[in-house]
Amino acid sequence: MTIRVELGTSLLARNEEMAAEIRYLCQDNNIFLVNIMSSPGAGKTTLLEKSLNFLKTHIKVAVIEGDIATTRDADRISAQGINAVQLNTNGACHLDARMVYQAFQKLDLSALDLILVENIGNLVCPAEFDLGENLRIVLLSITEGNDKIVKYPVMFRDAQMFLLNKIDLLPYTDFNLAELEKDLRTINSELEVFHVSARLGLGIEAWSNRLISIVRNHRRSES
Amino acid sequence: MHEMSLMAEMIELLGCSARENNIDKIIKVHLVVGKMTMALPDALTMAFDVFKTEDIFAPSAELTIEQRETIAKCRTCGSTFSAPDNYLFICPTCQGLRIEIISGRELYIASFEGEEA
Repeated sequence: MTIRVELGTSLLARNEEMAAEIRYLCQDNNIFLVNIMSSPGAGKTTLLEKSLNFLKTHIKVAVIEGDIATTRDADRISAQGINAVQLNTNGACHLDARMVYQAFQKLDLSALDLILVENIGNLVCPAEFDLGENLRIVLLSITEGNDKIVKYPVMFRDAQMFLLNKIDLLPYTDFNLAELEKDLRTINSELEVFHVSARLGLGIEAWSNRLISIVRNHRRSES
Repeated sequence: MHEMSLMAEMIELLGCSARENNIDKIIKVHLVVGKMTMALPDALTMAFDVFKTEDIFAPSAELTIEQRETIAKCRTCGSTFSAPDNYLFICPTCQGLRIEIISGRELYIASFEGEEA
C-alpha cells in the first residue's frame, strides 16, 4: 500500500537547532559572535590580522577559521597571539552550525567577549546557513568590481555590516563607488558601511572601534 | 554549490520519517524551494540522482521541485510586490527601500510517498 506523509520539514531545520544551541552558549557566556563572509581573496584573513592587533588590546577575542583545507589561516591568526581554531570542511563550500559548535568545544568560552568566525570564501552558499551569530559582516574588495552586489544580492541583503577592502586600489580600477552605494541602498538600506585597506591598515581602527562599541552595548544589554 | 549538502540533509530527514511511518521504499518526494535560497533545481535534481541509490528509495523514485517566487512587502506602505531578478528592491507604489521578504526563502520537504513495509 502507498502511504503519503505530509512533512513540512525544512532542510535547514537541524542547522537551525544547532544555531540555537550556539546562541544559548553565547548568552550563557556573554559572548558576541560575528560571521565574516566574502569571496576568496577579498582579504578576510588580512583584515583579521590587522584588526585583531587593535581589538585584542580592548576585548578578549578568539577566531574560528573556516577553510576547505589547510591550517594556514589559523596559523596566521595564532601568530598574532590570538586563540584560533581551524575548521576544515573537506570540500564543503560553507560552514554550518554543527562545525562551529564543535569549534566552540575547543575554546574557553568563559574567558571571551567576542568570537570572529571567518567563513569559507564564497558569496553564495554561506548566506543560507545560520551559525547563531549576532552580526553578519560581508567583505568586498575593490578588485572584484562593484557589480558583485547585484550579482550576489542575498549575501548583501542578509548582512548588517559591509566592509569595502583594498580601498587604496580604487584609483587604478574602474570600480564605480557611486553605483555601489546606489545598489547597496536598494538591496539593504540598513547596511553599515566602512572603507578599509587591510594591507595598509587604513580604516582598521574606525571599524574595529565600531565593533568594540557594538560588543560592549550588547554585553551591557545582556547582563 | 550547497545543493549537495542540502540533498544529503534531505535524505537523512526522509530516512527518519520513513522509518517512523513504516515506509520501506520512497517513490515520490515533493520539495518546495524559494528562488532566493539560490538552490538551483537542476543541481538539486542531479544531487538527488546521486543519493537515489540509497536503500530507502525505489529505483524509480522521483523528485518534484516546486519553485516559489521572491515576494517582498514594503515596510512603509505595506504593499506587496514580486522582486525583480536583480533583487534591487524598490517599492513600486511608494518607492520605499525598507522592505521585508515574505516569500522566496522556502526550503522544505512538503510531502513524500512510499510503499508500506
